[in-house]
Amino acid sequence: MRKILLFLFVVIQIVPSLIFGQDYAISSIEPNLLSNANSVVRNQSIEISVLSKDKMRVKTKRVVTVFNEYGEQHIGAYDFYDDHSKIKSQEAIVYNSKGKEIEKIKKRDFQDRSLIGSNTLYSDNRLSYLSYTIKDYPITIAYESEIETNSTIFIQSWNPLENYNLSVEKSSYKLINPNAIPFRFEERNLEGLELKKQNTGAGLNYEVRNISAVKSEVFSPNLSTYAPRVLVALNEFALVGVEGKASNWKELGKWQYEYLLKEKMELPRETILKLNELTSNAVSNREKAEIIYNYVQENTRYISVQLGIGGWEPMLAKEVDELGYGDCKALTNYTKALLESQGIPSYYTVVYGGDKNNIDPEFASMQGNHVILNLPLAEEDIWLECTSQTNPFNYLGDFTDDRKVLKITEDGGEIISTPNYATAANLRESFVEIQLDESGGFLAEITRKNHGIPYGDIYSIESLKNDHQKIYYRENWGHLRELQFDKIAFENDRDSIVFTEKLKIKGAKLAMQAGNRLLVPVNFLKAKTFNLPRNESRKHPLVIERGKTYKDHFQFTLPAGFKVESIPEPITIENEYGKLIMETSIVEEDETKLDVKRILILEEGNWKSSAYNSYREFMNQIKSYTNQKAVLVSN
Amino acid sequence: MKHFYILIVSLFSVCLLQAQDYKFGKVSKEEVLEKEHPKYKEANAAVLFRKHLVYYDIRKNTGLTLVTVVHERIKIYNKEGLDWANKTITGYQNGSESEEVSAIKGYTYNIVDGKLVEEKLKRNGVFKEETNKYKLKTKFTMPAVSEGSVIEYTYTIRSPFVTSIDDVPLQFEIPVNRLEAEIKIPEFFGFRMHYNPKSPIVFPIDKTKESFTYNYSQKTRTTGRTVQTDYKQRSLDYLLDFYKFQKDDIPPLKKEVYVDYLQNYAAYLRWELQYTKFPNSPIESFASTWEDVAKSIYNDAGLKQEVNRTGFFDEDLDELLAGYKDNAEKLAKIFMYVKSKIAWNDFVGFQAESGTRTAYKDEKGNTGDINLLLVSMLRYAGFNANPVLVSTKSHGIPIFPTRNGFNYVIAAVENEDNILLLDATDKNAAIGELPARAMNWQGRIIREDGTSGWVSLMPNAKSQNTTMLNMQFDDNMVLKGKSVRDLSGLHAKEFRDRYVGLAEKDYLKILEEDKGNIVVSGLDISKEEAIGENIRQTYNFELRDEMEEINGKIYLKPMVFAGLHENPFKGEDRNYPIFFDFPTSNDKIINILIPDGYKVESLPESAIVNLKEGAGVFKFVATLNGKFLRVESSLDMNDMVYIAQDYKALKNFYAEMVNKHSEAIVLSKS
Repeated sequence: MRKILLFLFVVIQIVPSLIFGQDYAISSIEPNLLSNANSVVRNQSIEISVLSKDKMRVKTKRVVTVFNEYGEQHIGAYDFYDDHSKIKSQEAIVYNSKGKEIEKIKKRDFQDRSLIGSNTLYSDNRLSYLSYTIKDYPITIAYESEIETNSTIFIQSWNPLENYNLSVEKSSYKLINPNAIPFRFEERNLEGLELKKQNTGAGLNYEVRNISAVKSEVFSPNLSTYAPRVLVALNEFALVGVEGKASNWKELGKWQYEYLLKEKMELPRETILKLNELTSNAVSNREKAEIIYNYVQENTRYISVQLGIGGWEPMLAKEVDELGYGDCKALTNYTKALLESQGIPSYYTVVYGGDKNNIDPEFASMQGNHVILNLPLAEEDIWLECTSQTNPFNYLGDFTDDRKVLKITEDGGEIISTPNYATAANLRESFVEIQLDESGGFLAEITRKNHGIPYGDIYSIESLKNDHQKIYYRENWGHLRELQFDKIAFENDRDSIVFTEKLKIKGAKLAMQAGNRLLVPVNFLKAKTFNLPRNESRKHPLVIERGKTYKDHFQFTLPAGFKVESIPEPITIENEYGKLIMETSIVEEDETKLDVKRILILEEGNWKSSAYNSYREFMNQIKSYTNQKAVLVSN
Repeated sequence: MKHFYILIVSLFSVCLLQAQDYKFGKVSKEEVLEKEHPKYKEANAAVLFRKHLVYYDIRKNTGLTLVTVVHERIKIYNKEGLDWANKTITGYQNGSESEEVSAIKGYTYNIVDGKLVEEKLKRNGVFKEETNKYKLKTKFTMPAVSEGSVIEYTYTIRSPFVTSIDDVPLQFEIPVNRLEAEIKIPEFFGFRMHYNPKSPIVFPIDKTKESFTYNYSQKTRTTGRTVQTDYKQRSLDYLLDFYKFQKDDIPPLKKEVYVDYLQNYAAYLRWELQYTKFPNSPIESFASTWEDVAKSIYNDAGLKQEVNRTGFFDEDLDELLAGYKDNAEKLAKIFMYVKSKIAWNDFVGFQAESGTRTAYKDEKGNTGDINLLLVSMLRYAGFNANPVLVSTKSHGIPIFPTRNGFNYVIAAVENEDNILLLDATDKNAAIGELPARAMNWQGRIIREDGTSGWVSLMPNAKSQNTTMLNMQFDDNMVLKGKSVRDLSGLHAKEFRDRYVGLAEKDYLKILEEDKGNIVVSGLDISKEEAIGENIRQTYNFELRDEMEEINGKIYLKPMVFAGLHENPFKGEDRNYPIFFDFPTSNDKIINILIPDGYKVESLPESAIVNLKEGAGVFKFVATLNGKFLRVESSLDMNDMVYIAQDYKALKNFYAEMVNKHSEAIVLSKS
């Protein structure tokens, strides 16, 4: 009997720790999970219970071992909340490297703050997070929370490998759907994983083990495009109490139109009359639209205000009209209303602004972080960025170019693409006349025109203070020494979207003196190249998102009494990544001028990982060739 | 005389006619029509008028309340100026009381169809946000604002924190056309007014005294068998200190690229509480000299108790020090022990937040916990150790003696001939070294008897950064060689702060960055983790594309990647001082072995450049000795702070260095 009791006692002692506990000692981590990892997700479990169309509970458990300070960002011991989602429980336990518990942190000791950034006027989003001083690495932090929300339109996807330099020992995902509300799910990149799954109409069950950390590489595709994921959405859902039904983009777009957008476009009569007058002489819809876009830019400004149906509903057009400000949704809706008042149809379009990132065409759910306006005219599709007071008409720039977006019409949603700025359109073209002096100094007159993406990169320089403009050029032309400015002028042609820089500058020691010779670097402005680190074991494809074309013409006038002794050989390199053509020639009979023409094209593209080294070699060639010098000699 | 009088009156009325009307709501059409600031053409916006009133409100039930009323009229010239239409007012709160922002009233003025039109700020444009436990923000954004608009608003802040008057701003990043301020302080508070000594702008201010009578009725109740209530009219007479300030045309605070805390240079009025003297209460004096401040911090803020608290660590320390006799060894042991035992929670403060005993037990604490514990342990071990009060860089330099002037504490060990500063919150700081945050201004050491004195927080030795490159080239113009780099003092600390803990391949990537077409191999870093010792880094390299052959001559910039090829000073001129991190000595020695078959045609000329009476020295020497070419470049920067007037000299000094580093040697094949 004593033996049995003892046995029972032992069982009771051990069993719970086997079921609920796990060995969090560092020594128990598989070695393949350690390389490139700043932290390891030891065990993550997400359990989502859809209690009804408008009630959902999410239980999260997340245990992360952190090896160094870079890994701290992956602890993830926090949750967001607002007026429509509550944190029901929150707790953290800290373990040392041997897996021994050293501290427990209760909900009341979590820190609380509002999530309003400096550019946001108002939002009710708040954050409750663990603030913990780590003394020694490695350390393991286990976090548990439970959230309840009435917005079932957002179902957290399963995204076990959520970042670089993070490996995953175990991650599981469970969707519990007792009322069998119809739902959709889609698996991505699950091939080749240690995966278990068990899916039924009443729920999903996934578990994965042992995913090694991925190291970030320059010019590689975004992790989210190749990391494992399971996307989930309900076909009958609610957004802060507003119910809906949708199983594809058409229906979800229709629902957004009906519940978030419709009947928000009424305008005061005076505004319509004013627009009638402003556009009365315009002959085409395009011309009218330009006048209206200009009107919006002159009369509104962007302010982030996250209010109304979870931050997804635009302010009324008449409110924007009165207040003169709004966020992207409000300003887009307002512009749409103004266009409509003149009989021009346009469409509210949801997009991911920033890095190129698509609205997923295959999976309909609430996506995107920004809104722009699509205006289909007979001749072409026009795109308007309504939050900018300075962008030209029909200019998206690199914030929203070339990606899949959701266009919302009264008939429903439609996935379309924003325009791509082609390599040839992204043109930066310069003409520089340089007068050299005998000590190597120079005077130069520069005219540089920027088109396409380069336009967007440069045009705001116009509004900088003069001092800051000078600093901009000194930083960008660091190779030009003791740079002084006699003139800085700009022409911003918003109609043809060309930004022209006109400068008169002078500087010292451009050419190197060697006895009675001057060595002149013929590339007065440097050729654009990328700094690529050596990488003999590149893992990911090489992606250049946007192509660029640079055309430069440098014309040097020799100092009096000098003649040309030698000029660099012409160069042509051409390959799948681009092209470099350089040609130096002596102009005019009396040989007082040197003409340098350079064309550099860097193509956009997607190449396999093995291309990295040849691409790097291409960059090194450009750098090396554009160091060339002409030799001048005094008579 | 009569004529004269009339003349004055008429002159005066002419002025009045031309003057702007600054009454709330009296925005003129001219103000809205103005296209650019008449004097500061580049201004994106301007404060046309600002009035700032501070006074105390006395009410019988609530007592004293500090009231601030602000009235601002702002002109927006262009789109970059639109941000001025968003306003954030930060209020403070503690557990029980908070500052209240109220009476917000605002209008935007535009010209529409040639007429002046006003748009009212409505309630839906005002938002309140509880940022955290201590901060409440009130934000509003003005309606219908576009280029040219004039906005005008007023608001009131009522504060229960009557002993602290916020700074009165006198300068902004945009010009101010007229500024008025009135501060009325009853005699119960003895405030002293200060200007910002870092701002060159000092305006005269009018100070007068006014008498004031506060009438109130007092209700007294006698309790007994029948309750009797008695109302009495009473009054309280007191004096007010009345500060009055009016100024036209205040220049904008110039924004410069490399200035971290621009607001540190703005003109403002700051209020120092010296005493309180309430009716029927004795005068309560607040610190007025640094000696008093130090004493009050030592005695009242718990420092005295904390640095003398022992008992909880005695056994551990006895064990730690067993067998060590040498004082230097003991000191190093204790310092290491505190650094490794207690983690810093990133909070600063001179007080021990959790108390040294708790911090010791929990193994974490703020700067007070950690460094006061260090002091008490050192005292226990027989050292003459004391706390030193510090103001961190971001906290700035206090402009009058106040407890708020300090926000940090370190430890000091005093010997007969020297003083060693220690900060155990920074894992990479050695004895005598401080983290950059603490190397600010001067520190106040408080000795056991409560007396105090200033100590310099600046490093007294120059930190060395020496690079030696030994290389040669082959017929393919590839440079092969070895780099040896030695780092001492704060250079070594900086290296540890940045790179220790990085995987070798990640560090290699950083090392190869910006060195041209290079391949680094055989990297070795010694003493990387031995805090306080010099670091030596060695590696081999192969470098391409550095040598150019043109017309039979070969050109090589001998400094290669060790040279400075761009002037770090890009700005035209400068309005604010320039700070360097610490005094430094930077030496680069390049040895090139010229292979047989090559001949040196010319060498760069040697040079010495001085900066400001020896504050900086740059030396450049190139010599050829048979096959051995040697280029030495040394830069000594002895001062850490340069005033704005030194900027041009500093910029030229660096330009000279860039020139020398960019000069080439010319070789030919013999």
